[in-house]
Amino acid sequence: MSFYFAIVGTKDNPIYEAEFGTSKQGGDGVARFREEQRSMNQFIVHSSLDIVEEVQWATPTMYMKCVDKFNNLQVSCFLTAGNIKFLLLHDQKADDAIRQFFTDVYDLYTKTLMNPFYEVDMRITSGVFDGKVKQAAKKYL
Amino acid sequence: MSATKAARVGEDVWKTRIDKVNAELVTLTYGSIVAQLCRDFEGDYLEVNKQLEKMGYNIGLRLIEDFLAKTNMGKCANFRETAETIAKVGFKVFLNITPTVANWTTDNKQFSLIFEENPLADFVELPDDGRAQNELWYSNMLCGVLRGTLEMVQMQVDAHFASDILRGNEVTEMRVTLVRIIDDELPPGED
Amino acid sequence: MTIYSFYIFDRHCECIYVKQWHQRDRTFRPTSSSASTVDSPVALASDRHSSTSSKLQNEVHPSSRGGRLSVQDDAKLVFGVVFSLRNMVRKLSGPDDSFISYRTGSYKLHYYETATNLKFVLLTDVKMNNLKVVLHQIYVNLYVEFGEFFSIEHPGGEGVAVELFEMGLDSFIRTIQD
Repeated sequence: MSFYFAIVGTKDNPIYEAEFGTSKQGGDGVARFREEQRSMNQFIVHSSLDIVEEVQWATPTMYMKCVDKFNNLQVSCFLTAGNIKFLLLHDQKADDAIRQFFTDVYDLYTKTLMNPFYEVDMRITSGVFDGKVKQAAKKYL
Repeated sequence: MSATKAARVGEDVWKTRIDKVNAELVTLTYGSIVAQLCRDFEGDYLEVNKQLEKMGYNIGLRLIEDFLAKTNMGKCANFRETAETIAKVGFKVFLNITPTVANWTTDNKQFSLIFEENPLADFVELPDDGRAQNELWYSNMLCGVLRGTLEMVQMQVDAHFASDILRGNEVTEMRVTLVRIIDDELPPGED
Repeated sequence: MTIYSFYIFDRHCECIYVKQWHQRDRTFRPTSSSASTVDSPVALASDRHSSTSSKLQNEVHPSSRGGRLSVQDDAKLVFGVVFSLRNMVRKLSGPDDSFISYRTGSYKLHYYETATNLKFVLLTDVKMNNLKVVLHQIYVNLYVEFGEFFSIEHPGGEGVAVELFEMGLDSFIRTIQD
């Protein structure tokens, strides 16, 4: 099972992306997308943004579960109060685990926002953030 | 005044006579000051350090009166007592932290303040442009505050940071040096 | 039990605030220094800022005519007395200040100095008890809240703060007198 995770800003600009594989049940945590698949990941996630924008007004909660399907892949979304979208591309259903993962990343994201040198919609380049996201992925996914 | 007595006074005043404000508000306000200065001076971090120190100096000039009014303290007998008072009472009353006093020189004119926690720098990561890590002292306003307050009680000091956790060092350490004791000013025509 | 006047001197030996309620010859004529008039709250501060000598500018109406001293000259004399007495007391009895007050035939002068060399002086009639506590209260409650804008380090007077200080001081002194 492989995951592609992206954070998209208010202007539909990518702020952060990462790939991981599942660490559960014998997985080694390394993403296994086929080569062609990998380049498609960004497009799939990007195209689901439209759907996110439609659906966001219907849900009162931040976690929007699965919003889009493409072939055998699903896109789950978490929308923050500042209209920042956390998108996860995955091939199997795992609602609860994904929700916990999103909550953790949301926590990390708010801490990043508290940094006075970080402005909204800036790319997140901090190694600390990267490490912690990967840790959360290992824990839940 | 011994260290324990100073700690007790600090704790006491903190509990009874201080209005409290949300710590995150202070952190975010200070953070936006520094970030704005960095933007205004376009990355001239040495100049930002100087401005922070100047702002701190102006704060210190007024802060000392507030401090004396709240703690009812008189003059300290020597520089060692001053150091303990700053660490255990001053910082406690205004920031609710108690840095440790260490690394005294043999002539008792220099000491270090070791900060285990620094509420001004919570959640902060210095920008990644290669220079901030080497040039910017994020909490430099504290140095100015010390300089201003001590100048109002007749001590001229020099305070600067020696290391900072934000820069990757192990501890945040400020070095304070007594330059000279300022004599009372005489009215004109009388010396 | 009357209070005649009140002075604040800063660490640069300058008078930064003066208030007179009664003249010592018992005619009631409340006057105060320029630092407290609303139109020119900065007159005293800015003058100090520009003059090279520390002599006080005599731009306010003197308290009376004909041989009596102006408010500013009064302040200078008071400072001179207080400064010399304080130094003498220090020499005689050690660094812990013990100069608290002195009394003459017509008035009593109360003195309080902070660790920042800020001097508070109150002139009252001779029957008044020691008012060092009162001066300390003025420092803690009024000066620290409203009056910090008097000092040289902060020119460009804050008119509102001066008014608040004045009002607070006035009501405080009146409660003392009763």
